[in-house]
Amino acid sequence: MKIAFLSESPADEAVLRILVEGALKEKPTVASAGYRARGWPNVLQVLPAVIRHLHFNTDVDTLVVTGDSDDSPVHTAAHEAPQYFHPHCRMCQLRAVFRQTGKRFPAAHGRLRVRRVVGVAVPALEAWLLCGVEDSVNEAAWTEGQARGVLPYTRAELKLRVYRTERPSLPHEIACAVREAERHRRDLRRLEYDFPGFAALLRDLREPIPEIS
Amino acid sequence: MVHVSGVIASVAFRNFKALRNTSLKLSPFNLVIGANGSGKTSLIQALQQLRALAKLPLGDPATVTRVGGSEISFAFDAPHLGVTARLGCVDDAVCDLLRVDSANWADWEDVKVRLATMRSYVFDHAAMAAPAPRDSGARLAGDGSNLAAVLARWQRETPAAFDRLQAELTRWLPEFTGIVLPEDAGGMVRLGLKIGDAEGPVMADNLSQGVFYVLGILVLSFDPAPPAVVCIEEIDRGIHPRMLREVRDALYRLSYPAAMGETRAPVQVIATTHSPYLLDLFREHPEEIVITQKHGHEAHFERLADRADAAELLREGSLGDMWFSGILGGVPEES
Repeated sequence: MKIAFLSESPADEAVLRILVEGALKEKPTVASAGYRARGWPNVLQVLPAVIRHLHFNTDVDTLVVTGDSDDSPVHTAAHEAPQYFHPHCRMCQLRAVFRQTGKRFPAAHGRLRVRRVVGVAVPALEAWLLCGVEDSVNEAAWTEGQARGVLPYTRAELKLRVYRTERPSLPHEIACAVREAERHRRDLRRLEYDFPGFAALLRDLREPIPEIS
Repeated sequence: MVHVSGVIASVAFRNFKALRNTSLKLSPFNLVIGANGSGKTSLIQALQQLRALAKLPLGDPATVTRVGGSEISFAFDAPHLGVTARLGCVDDAVCDLLRVDSANWADWEDVKVRLATMRSYVFDHAAMAAPAPRDSGARLAGDGSNLAAVLARWQRETPAAFDRLQAELTRWLPEFTGIVLPEDAGGMVRLGLKIGDAEGPVMADNLSQGVFYVLGILVLSFDPAPPAVVCIEEIDRGIHPRMLREVRDALYRLSYPAAMGETRAPVQVIATTHSPYLLDLFREHPEEIVITQKHGHEAHFERLADRADAAELLREGSLGDMWFSGILGGVPEES
């Protein structure tokens, strides 16, 4: 397996690498260049080009992409219905880009297409990092808060709780993020249960790589 | 949120270049964006004029008043809230009058000491690559031309600061493994960087422009005795967009030292940029973004956080894209 990551920062990529390794129970080969997007909606803008590049120019078979939900609607079970697409749900949007970009590609480099592995952190990656440390931080609490119009926490508060400062340096941010991700690596079940946006990523990762029949 | 004060609380302009009638509250950190010729540099020039005139003895208040002409007024942050300074200018370029009002003159003396340390930088890679006299390294020159001498002095006198800078440089640019500063018989210091297992260092003549800009930023960021106020023009120049996060962190090290584990006093930073990528990195701190808006021959300042629709804008996309699109203003006028 050869994996590429599309993320917003080196800190995000470090977390994703650890979580993916934890899920696979092995260290996959990682494409040398970490692909970067400059936040939302830039990830949607660069994703088709990244998929196309990986498909035709590399032997990467899996692309892991995550985004923060920020204030957008959270992906729910209803969105999983066949043919359903929520225009403002970031999970639906990311999956749609994969679907539309790859559908006319001929097979290349021994695989039918690059496997999609998509997750959305609700409302931000820092919530995943706090999972198991602060019981009140979970996707259900955020979704319920959105419905009531009273959010349980802000993204800035989550960042402050993880990094203990409003302005972490990049090395500090990576160190804090890696510490929390390593805590999850041994057992991802709590993260999977509390954050369906992460569970979706794991489900994608368990799908077989699309091979030429 | 802990409030961190700067040195200069606000600046107000009347008839100074394109800044006909505008004011700006300054934060500990200020990233100024805008079109060319919209007043970014004028803001920094105003601070330089204040620094220059503050060194001189104050004249009689009755005689330092000029009717008409340009005027720039300054207010100061705590603990000098009672001090105001007003510059009178002969023309767009020269201010020659300073009037200070203060309930307590000891406060003004304190402000003067802090203003005297203020520094402005427009790095020039060619000047930075040149050998520098050994004894010229007390303070980085405005164009960075004594870079080698400053580093050599740190290596001799403040080796801990030198080591931290060197460690940060090799983290930013991992192809390099250290700094060398050979001195010739004439007392001129040259700059070079060690590279991997290569036999000899890469000397300044063969280093890329961006390396000098990185070194300049790191010298400011790790200065063991930094100025109270630092102004830096085109902070993103020559630096890869992916490294702009490091640039932002280096500037935050100055303005918010506690956030970086430093124990020294904060440095007020005023930086200018034309990089939408750098702007993107301030999404969580719109209060630090100042937009210079120019309409015809007149310009004014606007803080992004003061816009009524700031929250909506921040939700809708990247700041850099919105700046380029024109939604934030601060773009060139088109004929």
